[in-house]
Amino acid sequence: MLQLINISKRFGPVAALDNVTLSLRRGAIHGILGENGAGKSTLMNILFGLAHPDTGKIELDGRRVRIVSPVRAQRLGIGMVHQHFKMVESLTVLENISLAAARGLWSPGRRELIGRIRAWTDKLHWNLDLEKPVADLAVGRRQRVEIVKALCTGGKLLILDEPTAVLTPQEVAELIPPLRAVAAAGMTVLFISHKLAEVQKLCDRITILRKGRVVYTGAINELDAGQIAEKMIGARLKFPRLTDHQEQPDNAPRRDSGELAPPRLELRNVSIRGSRHGAWPLLNVNLSVRSGEIHGIAGVDGNGQDFLIRCILGQLEPADGNVIFGDSPDSHRKTPGTRSGTPLGYIPEDRLREALVLPLSVQANLMLKRYHTSPFAWMGLCRFGRWRQRSAELIGQFDIRCPDAQTPVGTLSGGNQQKVVVARELGEKPRLILAVNPTRGLDVGASAFVMNQLLAARREGAAILLVHSDLDELLAISDRVSVLYNGQLQETSWPDASREQIGKMMLGIA
Amino acid sequence: MNPAHENLLTFLARQTVSAATPLILAGIGELVSELAGVIDIGIEGLMLTGCIAAYTIAGATGHGSLGLATAILAGMAVAALFAATTISGRADQIVSGTALNLLALGLSGTIWSLYQNWRGNHDLSTALPHGAGYSRLAVGALARLPFFGPVFFDQYSLFYATVLLAAMVWGIIRFTRMGLILRALGDSPQACQACGIAVRTWRWLAVLFAGGCAGAAGAYLSIMRTHAFATDMTGGQGFVVLALVIFGRWSMGGLILGCLFFGAINSLQQTLQTARYTSHYAALHALQSVPFEVFQMLPYVAALAALAVLSRNHPGPHRLGRPWPEEISL
Repeated sequence: MLQLINISKRFGPVAALDNVTLSLRRGAIHGILGENGAGKSTLMNILFGLAHPDTGKIELDGRRVRIVSPVRAQRLGIGMVHQHFKMVESLTVLENISLAAARGLWSPGRRELIGRIRAWTDKLHWNLDLEKPVADLAVGRRQRVEIVKALCTGGKLLILDEPTAVLTPQEVAELIPPLRAVAAAGMTVLFISHKLAEVQKLCDRITILRKGRVVYTGAINELDAGQIAEKMIGARLKFPRLTDHQEQPDNAPRRDSGELAPPRLELRNVSIRGSRHGAWPLLNVNLSVRSGEIHGIAGVDGNGQDFLIRCILGQLEPADGNVIFGDSPDSHRKTPGTRSGTPLGYIPEDRLREALVLPLSVQANLMLKRYHTSPFAWMGLCRFGRWRQRSAELIGQFDIRCPDAQTPVGTLSGGNQQKVVVARELGEKPRLILAVNPTRGLDVGASAFVMNQLLAARREGAAILLVHSDLDELLAISDRVSVLYNGQLQETSWPDASREQIGKMMLGIA
Repeated sequence: MNPAHENLLTFLARQTVSAATPLILAGIGELVSELAGVIDIGIEGLMLTGCIAAYTIAGATGHGSLGLATAILAGMAVAALFAATTISGRADQIVSGTALNLLALGLSGTIWSLYQNWRGNHDLSTALPHGAGYSRLAVGALARLPFFGPVFFDQYSLFYATVLLAAMVWGIIRFTRMGLILRALGDSPQACQACGIAVRTWRWLAVLFAGGCAGAAGAYLSIMRTHAFATDMTGGQGFVVLALVIFGRWSMGGLILGCLFFGAINSLQQTLQTARYTSHYAALHALQSVPFEVFQMLPYVAALAALAVLSRNHPGPHRLGRPWPEEISL
């Protein structure tokens, strides 16, 4: 149906795509696998008219087409669901779809659109409340809106860019039948991901990209997971194994290693009042994190994680209860900056907004937390020599791949950006670490790196609170696991509890 | 209707509507521009441009309608300058808008001096020639209604046009896809781009529209309400419009309410200024020692206070004031 022939695209000296040839069949679900920076996004942008190839041609149904803009792409029947949703939060579901799928200036085309939307939602067995503002929808729902929107504008090809990055395991499972229904309706689905398991479950055919080149195209069942990973990354990886938690002596829980270490962080009966009357985003939360352990907080996004994190950071004052650092009981009254004695390593969920200053250099980003302290400053003056020395050490130690320490962080790949964050937050050996979805948007290699760094910090006696929406990764490295559901925290008997039990607790049905 | 028959309330209401009209007119433009994501601080300058353009052309040709048309075009021309720097050039909107205000102030003053010199050769008076300015347009029998007649149906023609425009723009924002696009532009240009909407073109149009509205509002001040021009005659009304759009939480109804509120306080303080010398009430005479600037200040203080109380918890368009595309790819 759609053919890409010898597509190349360069950004400056970097070849994002190098002679890529790809052929999509009608009614198939085609997976595109590759690490961060392998060229997946560029390929999608070219298909959707957001970028233009330097060389090569695109044929749709045998005719050569030029996709010069997203409008052109939509006219050709191509719809796309972006990884970061492109929706107007203040508008309703229907208005958002109208924005994309209707034409003309006057009529929003309500009646006709509703018909088209219903036709698709019936096929997918979804129920969308069309009059609800998008701002009120949870992430999983928003994605459904995005998919329906793309279906209504497209009609031939549906591109899904990392659709599962924001979903819970249950939601991922629920996404599979609808996508099959879309394919059965005669559309082609292009599924971009770096998560092997999902691609294996969902796709008929796959194309693997590595460094802008196609390294494999073919049926999914011709390769096993190990072979696919090898092709993606180029070499086998050392990765904390996701199953068989017990078998790895290094990861074994330390719960019964005699005397319990004192807690580094403790929450006692913490409650936070919501903006609406009677809402409690956090209710009577009790939590402790001890030296040398990773305490994992599982939960579907939006069950109070944000409030928990901001409460620990001191950005929110609890209506009730205490947040205690080390052994000073009144420390919850102090600001994050004055909680001395407990240097906190914080890996936020959104590294672009909360952790990094993109236009600044790698070096400056590495020094963000310590630039004003000895030995990096003297009488209020920066000691750049020390900065250079320390950042060179960190760049080496954390394997940050950058041309030099003066490169703006914004130009690095996602994985390397996260390494900068990890280097800054863990490099000074904090005794307490708060990590939130630390592998979000990272490829397999970078994820493994981050998780191994957390394990290393644990071995050195750090107390780690890990809030993570990827349950498998969470279970792989946590000593204790608690589940946050609807603002209430409940500790599980992990590792005695099964993954399924924890999954049920996350959904509030256990 | 003879003004002598108007009671105080009618008089105040009529003054209120009259004072609110240019604010509403400029406010409609600013509202559209801000919904599209462009904050036009230069609205004051645009109004002033309208004032001088309308006055000089009406004065030179003797035709008020030519003056009004020129004011709209001049407003759009200066707005085009603003759009070129901020939308096409991605310059900072606040800085560019401020520059625009200064430019308009200097330019209007210069044109005013030139015009006075030119007129001085023919005629010493700088008042508009008879017939060049607009007079009130009474709407037939409606104008004879008690209270409502003088307040709503005996105003300048631009008032009726403003009411129509407000209704139209409200309807467009509320019910059409154009309005949907407009609202989306300020909240998420990313989403618009993904939907194939030309963000910058739309913003250009919105800013030009705002320029036209502000130009017309300027014309209202110079060739309708006063039949005169004075340096900096807008006196901060453009900035009040900015505040009132926020006050109205980016809605047409809120904007109009805010403009009427501001107009009411303004006409009240003007009446009070006169009344302290002419009134029979001794209590008002005590106010004679208060400098008149204090009275002039009142509407602005009231606007500020209302803004502080009412505009909380409403962030407005998410991407207001941000250039598009937000980041130039490296």
